Amino acid sequence: MTSASSSVLLAMSAPPYWHCGRSIRRQSLYILAALLPAVCFAVWNWGLPAVRVMALSVAVCVAVEALCQKLMGRELAVDDLTAVCSGLLLAFLLPADSPWWLVVLGAVTSITLGKMAFGGLGANPVNTVLVGWAVLFVSFPLHMDANAASLGTTFVDPLVRLKFFGAEQAAHIPLTDLLLGRQINGLGAGQIGALFVGGSLLCMRGILRWHSALGFFLGVAGIAAIFHASDPMLHASPLYHLCTGSVMLAGFFLITDPANAPSRPLPMFLYGLIGGGLVMAIRKYGVYTDGTPFAILLVNMLTPLLDMIRPKPFGVR
Amino acid sequence: MKELFQMLPDPRFHLVYGITQRFSEGPSPRQVRLNREGFKLLEGISKKMLVYPHQKLGVHPSPAKGDVFSPIFGKITEVNERSIFVEAVEPDEELRAAAQSVEKVDLLAMPERGGELVPILKGLGLNTGSLGQDCETLIINGLNPDPGVTWAEPMLLAHQRNLHNGLEMLRRLSPARRILLAVPKEIRLQHHDVEIVHVPSHYPASVNALVIKAVTGKERPDGVGIVGLHNVWSLGRVAVTGLPLTETVITIGSFTHSGNYIVKEGSMIGELLAFANIEFRDGDTLVRGGPLRGESIEKLSRSVTKGSTGVFVVEAGSVPVMEGHSPCINCGACVLVCPARLSPNLLSRYAEFALHERARKEYVEQCLECGLCGYVCIARRPVLQYIRLAKHKLAEADAVRRLEELKPVGQGEAASGAAQGGN
Repeated sequence: MTSASSSVLLAMSAPPYWHCGRSIRRQSLYILAALLPAVCFAVWNWGLPAVRVMALSVAVCVAVEALCQKLMGRELAVDDLTAVCSGLLLAFLLPADSPWWLVVLGAVTSITLGKMAFGGLGANPVNTVLVGWAVLFVSFPLHMDANAASLGTTFVDPLVRLKFFGAEQAAHIPLTDLLLGRQINGLGAGQIGALFVGGSLLCMRGILRWHSALGFFLGVAGIAAIFHASDPMLHASPLYHLCTGSVMLAGFFLITDPANAPSRPLPMFLYGLIGGGLVMAIRKYGVYTDGTPFAILLVNMLTPLLDMIRPKPFGVR
Repeated sequence: MKELFQMLPDPRFHLVYGITQRFSEGPSPRQVRLNREGFKLLEGISKKMLVYPHQKLGVHPSPAKGDVFSPIFGKITEVNERSIFVEAVEPDEELRAAAQSVEKVDLLAMPERGGELVPILKGLGLNTGSLGQDCETLIINGLNPDPGVTWAEPMLLAHQRNLHNGLEMLRRLSPARRILLAVPKEIRLQHHDVEIVHVPSHYPASVNALVIKAVTGKERPDGVGIVGLHNVWSLGRVAVTGLPLTETVITIGSFTHSGNYIVKEGSMIGELLAFANIEFRDGDTLVRGGPLRGESIEKLSRSVTKGSTGVFVVEAGSVPVMEGHSPCINCGACVLVCPARLSPNLLSRYAEFALHERARKEYVEQCLECGLCGYVCIARRPVLQYIRLAKHKLAEADAVRRLEELKPVGQGEAASGAAQGGN
């Protein structure tokens, strides 16, 4: 053995020594890439106010996470970009004309109460983003009502139209308007077409679990179809429900958050299905026009129960 | 559909590589390091002694464990608790004559069958534990054990004489009524003397328990044993050469390049890598065994043993760095990929916080140790290592418990012994 080769420093590691190459950071980058079309559409439809909300939300989320990690005596891990994802998703749920303090408050509650209080990434029992959203929505209903907040626009709020003017009036809104995001909604949640493209690509790459997304959309569309079939004059079509509110955003990016979802295929599908059913229940019988975020917060709590549906391990009789 | 949503798109996991080239002879080592853990050295074997190839150096008290032989002409430079070091020397006439005089054994001409063969094979350096196991059906696992290991195909297709003799000896040795050879479904193989079963070939299909399931359709059935193709090859090698086994077949590989070699037992990894022209730099990881289930080696002077399947260099930067203290983020990838339908996320956390009994309740003992949980872990946790730790701790606890059950008797004897001493 030559002296040169014996002086090599070898890295010790634990098996397996090969890896699929994915890391938390790369996963976040994929998600951000999938959200990019929706970001572009949001800017196109809502202009600079949307940029302002998104930038503020992302910046506050990252700063708060870094601060929390510092206070908790942990290693800084903001470079995994999960806070950026959370910030962007929170901004997507807010109206484009939100005041700055609303955005800051939402971002701070999301990260502190929704994530770091439970010990950081993946330890939270309910969705990080929706914790912040729920606090804002319950505390400042007027500011969070996109229909009331967005005054300088010619768009309409399809869900308000449906709830207070009926399905017949709602049917007059062209589908292309809904798909292209020309509707009053959260600034990114309304970019239905863009979210669908990004989300389905992520599902195909296996970054998102398609089981819960599919279950969720089937739940929403299925129940909407039953209502619609019973009386088409009174109830909007399933497609209308899929293209309004934050169904598209939630189905791809919120309900699929693996930290809160069950981990096996069948429970994941059921979890999505129940979530979708809850959305329709709230829309139909609740006081809110869009029940999606609350539906997801509720179904998050079912995860431990659904996780009990599991096959027998190998060779156990 | 399944391929589209496949979590393991890595082409290396398809265990058929189309490599059928015959094995190259490995280097003649300048130094070997033989494992002597548990072995009793023969009388007269000591430091500074000259040895010749196939000279018996030690025996193992277990009847199923093969004896240890010198693979080269050399001088014993050191003997310690764990290893025997032999340095190669140029042999003189006397030593050459001694090497010539090693008696060849014609195994195939022998009348012995079954258990009678065990001591003979032990004397030829073969481990007969899995070859001679007591079972109704014996399956030969003809798949490459780990991704990246490529010797199984040449063993099946290019070294026919060796395989044929190995099967013949196995039939004589094994008490099994049926012997099956499991091969990847892509390989069309005709053998008049053994029943062939085609099994899936995407890793983890080569894990023993999963091969048994693919062949029998049952999970952990009774009366079914499994033995690796590597062992059958060794058996065949001894039958062909008539000499004690002092070599093994390994794959030596890096990210870009790999090859199969017949190397002397105890060859040092540094020498093997130099021979195979595989370069490595600071920060690379050296793996003995397969890239998914093997062990990481800290220095180049470690050696390969009879059971080694390969030596691999994993280049720094080709995989995300494992920092070792990253917490589980509940992403659930390991649960989806686990072929034993366990929850590695829970198991690894139980092990992390030393809650081993809880891990037992989560069926940690059913783990097949395929390593896929760590392969898909985006937090880069050493999941397989945690599971192995839990299994080890549980086995230790069980051993202690068994001892404690025996204790009252032992204490009674000690008490009576003391009483007798008093008399």
